[in-house]
Formats: sequence, structure tokens, C-alpha cells
Amino acid sequence: MTSHSILQIESLDIALRSGDAILTGVDLAIAPGKVLGVIGESGAGKSMIGAAIADTLPPGLAISRGSIRFDGLTLTDMTARTRRDLLGRDIGFIPQEPMTALNPTLTVGQQIGRHLARIGIANRATRDKRAIELFSEVGLDRPAQLLKSYPHQLSGGMLQRVLIAMAFASNPRLVIADEPTTALDVTIQAKVVELIARMRQAHDTSVLFITHDLQLAADVCDDVAVLYAGRIVETGRAEEIIDAPRHPYSRCLSLAAPNLDGPVAPLMILPKAMPGAVERAAMRGCAFAPRCPAADEACTRTPPPRRAVSPGHVSACHYPERTSAIAPPARRNAGDLAAPGEAAVLRAQGLGKAYRQHDWLGRVREVEALRGLDFTVREREFVGIVGESGSGKSTLTKLIVGLENVTSGTLHVVGLDRTSTPRERFFDQVQLVFQDPQSALNPRRRIGSLVTQSLECRGNGLAAKARRELAAELLAKVMLPPDAADRFPDQLSGGQKQRVNIARALCSNPRLLIADEIVSGLDVSVQAQILELLRGLREQASFSLLLISHDLAVVRHVCDRVLVMCKGEIVEQGPVEQVFGAPRHPYTMQLVAAARGRPRSDDRHAREASDLS
Amino acid sequence: MIKALLRIVARRLFAIVPVFAVVTVLVFAALRILPVDPAQMSLPPSATIEQVEAKREEMGLNKPIWQQYALWARRAVAGDLGESAQYRMPTAKGVLERLPATIELAMCALVFAVVVGVAGGILLFTVRGTALESLGMALTSVVMALPDFLLALLFILVFGVMLPLFPVNGRLDPGLEVPSHTGFLLLDSLLTGDVSIVASAISHIALPVMALGLAFSPTIVRVLHSSLINTYQQSYIRQARLRGLSDREILFGQALKNAILPVVILVGTQFGGLFGGTLLVEMIFSFPGLGNLMVKAMQTADLSVIMAIALIYCAVTLLFNSLADAAAYLLNPKLRTA
Amino acid sequence: MMRIWSWLSDPGLVIGGAIAGLVLACAVCAPWLAPYHPNDQDLLYILAPPVWAPDGAAEHLLGTDSLGRDTLSRLIFGARTAMEVAVAASFGAMALGAVLAHLAGYFGGRVDWLISRLVEIWLSFPPVVLSMLLIIGLGVGTDKVILAIVLVDWTRFCRVLRSEVQVVRGQDYVSFARLVGFAHMRVIVREIFPATLPMLITLFSLQMGISVVVEAILSFVAMGVPADVPAWGQMIADARINMFDAPWGLALPILAIFVTVLSFNLFGDGLRRVLDPRHRANGHV
Repeated sequence: MTSHSILQIESLDIALRSGDAILTGVDLAIAPGKVLGVIGESGAGKSMIGAAIADTLPPGLAISRGSIRFDGLTLTDMTARTRRDLLGRDIGFIPQEPMTALNPTLTVGQQIGRHLARIGIANRATRDKRAIELFSEVGLDRPAQLLKSYPHQLSGGMLQRVLIAMAFASNPRLVIADEPTTALDVTIQAKVVELIARMRQAHDTSVLFITHDLQLAADVCDDVAVLYAGRIVETGRAEEIIDAPRHPYSRCLSLAAPNLDGPVAPLMILPKAMPGAVERAAMRGCAFAPRCPAADEACTRTPPPRRAVSPGHVSACHYPERTSAIAPPARRNAGDLAAPGEAAVLRAQGLGKAYRQHDWLGRVREVEALRGLDFTVREREFVGIVGESGSGKSTLTKLIVGLENVTSGTLHVVGLDRTSTPRERFFDQVQLVFQDPQSALNPRRRIGSLVTQSLECRGNGLAAKARRELAAELLAKVMLPPDAADRFPDQLSGGQKQRVNIARALCSNPRLLIADEIVSGLDVSVQAQILELLRGLREQASFSLLLISHDLAVVRHVCDRVLVMCKGEIVEQGPVEQVFGAPRHPYTMQLVAAARGRPRSDDRHAREASDLS
Repeated sequence: MIKALLRIVARRLFAIVPVFAVVTVLVFAALRILPVDPAQMSLPPSATIEQVEAKREEMGLNKPIWQQYALWARRAVAGDLGESAQYRMPTAKGVLERLPATIELAMCALVFAVVVGVAGGILLFTVRGTALESLGMALTSVVMALPDFLLALLFILVFGVMLPLFPVNGRLDPGLEVPSHTGFLLLDSLLTGDVSIVASAISHIALPVMALGLAFSPTIVRVLHSSLINTYQQSYIRQARLRGLSDREILFGQALKNAILPVVILVGTQFGGLFGGTLLVEMIFSFPGLGNLMVKAMQTADLSVIMAIALIYCAVTLLFNSLADAAAYLLNPKLRTA
Repeated sequence: MMRIWSWLSDPGLVIGGAIAGLVLACAVCAPWLAPYHPNDQDLLYILAPPVWAPDGAAEHLLGTDSLGRDTLSRLIFGARTAMEVAVAASFGAMALGAVLAHLAGYFGGRVDWLISRLVEIWLSFPPVVLSMLLIIGLGVGTDKVILAIVLVDWTRFCRVLRSEVQVVRGQDYVSFARLVGFAHMRVIVREIFPATLPMLITLFSLQMGISVVVEAILSFVAMGVPADVPAWGQMIADARINMFDAPWGLALPILAIFVTVLSFNLFGDGLRRVLDPRHRANGHV
């Protein structure tokens, strides 16, 4: 660690009142002008670092040990007042959800105006001028008009730019970006990341970049720290950690993410889940040991030592050398997947959907959500639909399952015309797996009852015993133990809930399954479980799948063909490798380029060049 | 934006008219199915059957009900609300005489309730997490268990019997005369410039106002308190704190504008209840307003007065409902999008 | 519901529930508890004060009213009247309001529009005034009072529950139930109703307090239960005439109403706290 760091965190412990630790022994340092990434999945504690610096820890948590130094000042020793003075001035924040980060009852101009007043611009006219300057700097059009707009009138990407402008307005020495791109579309993500890099360079600010996305961190950061279960398990330069990790967890993380290039390899699946605070307190050895493919006796008995495996690269592992050998197990059937059948399970011709909207004053408008869709899904085929928000993919889902009516064109599902056939014919043939596992499972029912729910109105009169057996069978299909049937949804993790969702949809043996963004809220390691599960089901070849996602890599991993949607239309469709490997439509090209990320090398050269000067 | 605001208000007011019309029909119908003969009630007990019949003809009671309604409606629009069976004078006159007193009482009570409620809500919020908050919540529970009529009676007991600090009858000390310009006693007494008269007016209205207002304020306290808690959980409050704004700036500059919305809606929807509370409070304090008149009318089945006052209550309630909607529009920019 | 034992940790719930239970017990056991028949006139003791005041007698622990009727007995039988009316009226209002709320919130569209307009018209009356108007139309009597309260207060249930139903309706598991073929009625009963039940119970408890107050108001203006049925409101009206000579006669029924309403309010608030899933996640970050 350099002698003069902008931010230096030493041996930081953050714990609950009960004593259980959320963060343990965190050591971080950011050199001036550098970007440090903190990578962690949900529950690892990465947001707590930002909260600790800002003194906004949630009630019930407190710093129990260690110190935080900012530019030589010890934050943890300061009074709340002095600390508050630094915020917004010397330390800036870029939040995760731009849509809710601004006060909805004040205009954008009023909010940035108050901020500028606080950092010392007293004159009203000067403030307005400076605000317009800042907005132009972050690439917003018509900045003067923006001052009078309310937050709900702007898109997510525009709001994030406003927030970035506010964060950098005072030329802070440190900016903390807490998952700034998670809530945004892929193409916007790329732009925002680029903007942060540009602002950083222009204002010579250090950045603490918190994210769960390994690839993103690799693109943006100089150095990276990997967080697992409240501890830093590896730190070092970004490329080293991504390309040649020396901690099993970092390697597993990069192996668990599907990619757009290279062969479609099986993803690394980790058993169980990241231990929570209570479990960790009971562990004596390495927190990752129960899931680590390279672990042995020693790992569970003693905590791992923090060692430098090469200059500037530190790993907290007993056996860092075993890391490179870790690989996911090879697939059982190495053979080709069964070819799709001839029959069309889903056929859309000129499909369209228009909504009539009533606004608050009672006026009526017709909004076209879908326009002229032509596509087919055949038996046993897995087709993906990719698109950003507003592309109409959710509307399409609703049309197929019958939650909405078709307003133009034709839609044939399992050979029957959706509009003219009574609903009952479709119930068993087409099933939907919902996106949000939280709202998709009735919290008052047990898992066993949920999974076999579709039988309840058939009148089969399945006896309780037969029902239990069926539940166990379905749970086994999604790799959940049979005793899960007796639990309630709130006792399961996000990944487990999503698997129950899938099992439930499979109960009636549908010919077509629709999965709408089913992995978007999940951590990478959990997502890997679901994706491999889907691939396994594909091999069994018992149904067709329509997978909707904004993540191209996910679709590439699971599907045979893909449709690219933009603003209610299909702009390109074809075999997955072809569409993603050699896109022809400009929108697809944009999407693929954004998903691939910025080439690291160019950026790094630019930074190194500026360091030398 | 002002144009849009006026358009909203106008729209809401127009929307009330059909509702109000339906209400007049319902009340009219309800009152006509009474087992009471209004004609008989308006004549002295010694009247003969022929006289009663004649009176029925005169009042149009033998016509089909919708014709009676049409007749009433036509007259009402022209300002003639019939004749009070009890007082033998035009209803409209009697009602209008009493209306300002009730409006004055209700408005003062509203102001009192809002001031106490908002201040209490903010106070309760600033002590959240401490024992004081639990105490405050318990206090609101206690006051909420005392509806306006019980509070009024308690005040009479305490201030009338035990500690005669405030007068418990009427609007003014007997013997004082105030020329009536606006009909609103407080304003009229201010116009006289005589301090003792103003003091008398205020001291007479104090207890009724407090009875009505205190009954309403705990709900405001609770709603504001819970609304502030909700608001503070929003991301933008956290962001404001991360930009270094002080607690005071956050509360008054950022949060309050958002948190006050449910209170505005509450006042709009519950004002009808407050206004209805004047009925009993006036009766208990012998306050010469609509409520007093209504109680007597109900006890003597004076239909035209009952109808007129009931409709006034409805009109006021509906009016405040729309005002609350308009205020919500002002406070919540999301509702304004074209 | 399996966490019933944790309910005992909420003080409001326990205290409110205990006192409300006591009032209900009084109501049920009135004939055995009350020392005298409530309409018996003891002409030896007119406007007697309670036993702790000077001139108080042990014969009549809480004194007597202007007709010599024992206050304690009248309070106990008044509790019986209050509870009878409150329980019946609250159930009725709850049933009517809940059914309409579920229909409106679940089906939306025209059904919702119709029911919402109905509620709007209803709510354009101040509740007190409306109940009095209904009594004028229906006539005097205990069952009429119950009917009047049901017809006025169903709107409170309907309005609050309708938004709850809408929230649950938006959950994916309800859409799923429809997608597997559950009929509307089944979805409402099996998926939506269990989720709205906690709020329903809370509103019921609060409604008990409101019903007691309305009954008291109606009997105060002599438009409630028949004159020979003891009621707290009536006691207040009688006592008011003689309040300077016998303030206790006025204070005691006021206290009775206050304690009863407070207990049901505390119980209802406690229920709301205990059944709110957000509060179950206490201590989680």
C-alpha cells in the first residue's frame, strides 16, 4: 500500500449489537487518482463499507474495531458534525437506483441548486450557470430545461448522469459508486461506466467502485478487492485477479458467469450458500471452506493467512496454488443436444398489441406495445428473447399466457389459436415461471403444496400420499431435497425459491415453458445453478422454453435461437451463435458491444500514460 | 401549471354535481318514507281532518314522489327551501342565519386540529426510538378514545362544574351586543374594536373548538408520524444525507413536503366527520349553529329543515374532498404528467 | 398465527385485550353481576353520590340517578347493550364491507367503478349525521341501531380493504393461480382472503370502539335503543341535566365509554403491530 492513500481502511470490523460480525478485518487502500473495485455478492457486506465511510450504518450496526482514514484524517475519531462536513464536498456518492435517489417533489434544478449552495456557491445565477455547465459535462441535452424538470420525467440513464454530475460538482477527492449501473439497461450501463471513467480523469478523483459484476470491475478498475462473507479474500491489480486469480472463490466467481465468447462451457456451481453473520460466528476456519473445491482439513480448522502471492497481490488462502486447477465438472452427456422437432409449439404472425391509456385528466391514448411480430418456436427448442426495458418482451409474455388479449395479427400456441380457443385448453400446456420469486410464491402455503398447486383444480382427487410423492419428484428435478416440501417460502434462499418456481411450472408437464427474467435478481453463483439446471432440462428434451432476459450471455448459455427486440419489434432473429457472433442489425451490434464491455487494454494504456506525465 | 390546476379543480367540482344530485334524491326519498305526516306536524293538534287534507294538497304530498322531488328541486335552486314546520318560517332564512356560526366553529377547529396535529406529528417523529415516542403514541391512543362529544362533555364537567375557567354556553356573554356584518362573530367582534367583546367571543368559542379539534388531531399526529417514517426510508433521503445536509435541512427541506401528502388527503376525507361533529358539540355547548337546529328538527321531524341541513353537510363534505384532491395535485408532481 | 406466544410481548395488545375482555365479560354476566335491576327505582336514594364521596352509601356503590336507579347496575347493563350492538354491528359492517371490497379490488373495471362510486356517495355524509338520518327513516330500536351502524360503517372496511386486495392481487402468485385454472371465487378465497385477514381483524377491533361511540351518541339524543333499555348515552343525557348537583353521575358513564373504546383501540393497534410482516423482520438489516 502506498504511503499516501486517499482512503485507508485498517482492520475494520462492523458488527451487530449481538456481536455477530458483518465485516471482519477489512483492509483497503486507494491511491490518489486510482479506481479500487470491491467485488462481492449480496450478503458479503460490500454496501457496509460505503455506509461506514459515510457514517450512515443502519441502526443496530456499529464499527467495533479498526479505523478509516481519509486523506490523513481519521474519520472514525471525528465528531458526527465534522464528518458530515466532508460528505458531498470531499467525498461524493453515486447511488445504485437513480430512479429513487432524487426527491420526487422537488425539481432537478432545486436539488442541484441546494447542493451547489452547500458547497459554497452563494449566488443564485452562478448556481444555475454552474449546474448547466455540469449537465453539459455529463452529456445531458438541453440542460437548461432539465433544471425545471421533475425526476419522474427523466429516464434512469439521465438521472444517473445528474447524480454523477452532483457527485463530482465539488471536485471531491473520493467518489464512492455503489453499484451505479445495476439498475440500468446494458447499453446505458456502458455509457455510464464510460462517463465515470471520464469524470474521474477530468477531476483527478479516486473512486471506490462497489459491484457484484466481475467483468465490469475488470473494465473499470485499476485494483480490485474481492469480498466474501465479510472478509477480503483477495486484493491486487484488476487484470491479475480476473485473468490469474489466486483465491478459489475469485476463480469460482469468474467460472460461474456465462460469457459471450469462447465455447459454451459448463458453469461452476458452488454448493450451499454464503454463510450469514450467525453461521460465520460459529466457524473456526476459512469461511469459504464448506463450498471450496480445493479445501481440506486444515481449511476448516484454522483461519487462512493473508499472504502476498506476488508483489501487490494478496490472497487469504491456505493453498492459493491450487486455484488454477479448479474447473467445473465436465458435462455428463458430452453428446449433441437433441434436435428440435418439426411441430411448432408457438407461432406468431404479424402479432401486435395496443393499449388504451387513460391519464389523470381522463384523456385516452393508444399506445402500441408490440408491432408486427413474426416468429416460431418448435418442439424441444429453447429460444431466447433479449431486449432492454421498453422493448415489449414482458407484454409478449402476457399475450402468450393469456393475461392480455391480442389486438392484431395471429398467435397460435400449441397449435391452437390463442384468441378463439377457450382458456382451459391451455392451462396444462403452457406455463409461466415468474421473475420475482418473492411475489410468485404464496407465503402462506408450504412448498409441497405450492409445487403441486396446478393439480388442485383438476379434480383428479390425488390422494395426499400421491401428492407428496409427486412433490418430491418435482423437487428432485430441480435438485432440491424432498424435505424442502415441508418448508415455507420465507425459509428458502432466492435461488431455491426460483427453483421451486420452475418445479411448479413443470408440474403439469407443459409443452411450452416461459421464463421471464428468472435469473435477473440473483447473484452470479446462484444464477449459475439455475442456468445449469436449465441446460440439464434441455438435455432431457421434454419441453420448449422461451427464455426472456436482458443478459445476452445468459441467453447464449441456454438457448438455441434468439430474438432481439427493440421498441416492440423484432429487429433480428436466428441461431444464437450467429446473432451474437456476427450481428447484422445496428441495435444488435450495439447490444453485443455493450455486453462485451470496453477493451481493457486501451483504457489502461491511457491511464498509465497519464501517470507518467 | 396554474391553468392545469384550475382545470383540475373545475373538473373535480363538476364531478361532485352528479354525486350531490344523487344524494339529494336519496335523502328526499328516505325522508318521505317516514311514518310521519309532515302536514299534520305543521298544524296545531286541534286541526280537523279536512284542514290536514287541505294542507297536504297545499304541500303537494299527494303527488307521486318524483314530482314532489322535482318540485322541491325547482324551488331549491331558486332559493326556497320550504317552510319549517316547527318555527313557521322559511327554512332557507333560518338555515342561513345559523350557517356562519357553524362554519366559524368548524374552520377554527380545523385550524386548531391541523396546527396541533402537525406540530405533534413532527415532535413525535423527532423523538422516535426513545421512550418518549411510546409515551406519545400512548397519549394519542388515549385522546383517540375520546370522540368529540365525550370531549365536549368532559370539558363541561371540568370547566363548567369544577374549574369555571371558560364559559360553557352560547357564543357571547349575555348582554353583549355585536352588530353582525359578516355573520362570523370573531371577525365582527374584531371590527367593534372592543377588547372585552373580542375576549368574550374567543372564550366562548374556545371549548367547542378544542373539543372538535382535539378529537381530530391525534389521527393527524399518527398519520404524519408514520408518513415521516415512511419518507425517511426512501432512498433520496439517504442521498441527501450523503450530500451532507443537516437533520433540520432534511426534515424541513426535503422530507416534509413528501410526508404531508397523506395528511392533506386525510383532512380532505375526514373533514366531513369534523363538520358532522359540530352537530353534537353545538348541542352540548348550546352554541347557536346548524347543529343545534338540526337536533331539534330531528326530534320534531321537521322535514324541510332536516333536508336542508343534511344537504349542507353533504355539500361541505364533498367540497372539502375536492379541495383535498386539488391540494394533492399541487403537492405531488407525478400526478401532473401530461 | 403460530407465533401466538410472541403476541404476549406487545403491551398494548395485552392490556387492551384484557380490559376489552373484562367489558365483554361484564356484558355477558350482567344479570349475575349487577346488584340491582337497572330500572328499579329506590326512592330513598335520589341522585346519591358514589360510596367514596360524603353522603355516599354502601347500598349504592356508585350512587344513583335522578330516578333512584342504581348507577353501577345501569353501567353493567349498559355494557351489555353496548357490546350487543357493537358485536352485531361490527360483524355486519365487516361482512358487507369485506365482500364488496374483495369484489371491487379483485375484478376491477366496472365492478370497481360501481362500488367505488357507491362508497363515494356514502362518504359524502358525515357519519354521525347519516346514522341519525337512517334512524329517522328506520325508527327507534336496538336492531335499527345495529342496522344503521352497519349501513354507515361498511364503507370504512370497504375502502381500506380494497387497497389491500389490490396489493395482493398484483402479486404474481395470484396470476399464477389464474393461469393454472383456478376459478375466480377460488382465487379470492384461497389466495387473497388469507392475506387480507389480518387487516380485517384489526379493523374489526377498531370498529368495536366506533360502534360503542355511535350507540352512545344515538342514545344520547334519544334516537337509539328504547327508553327502557339501559344505555350509557342515555345515562349521560339524564345526568347532564343535574350535572351541577351530581357530577359523578355524568363522569362515570363517560369513563365507561372511554375505557371501553380505549381498550378496543389498544387491542386493534396491538394486532396491527403484531400481524405486520415488516415488524417480524426486526433486527434484520
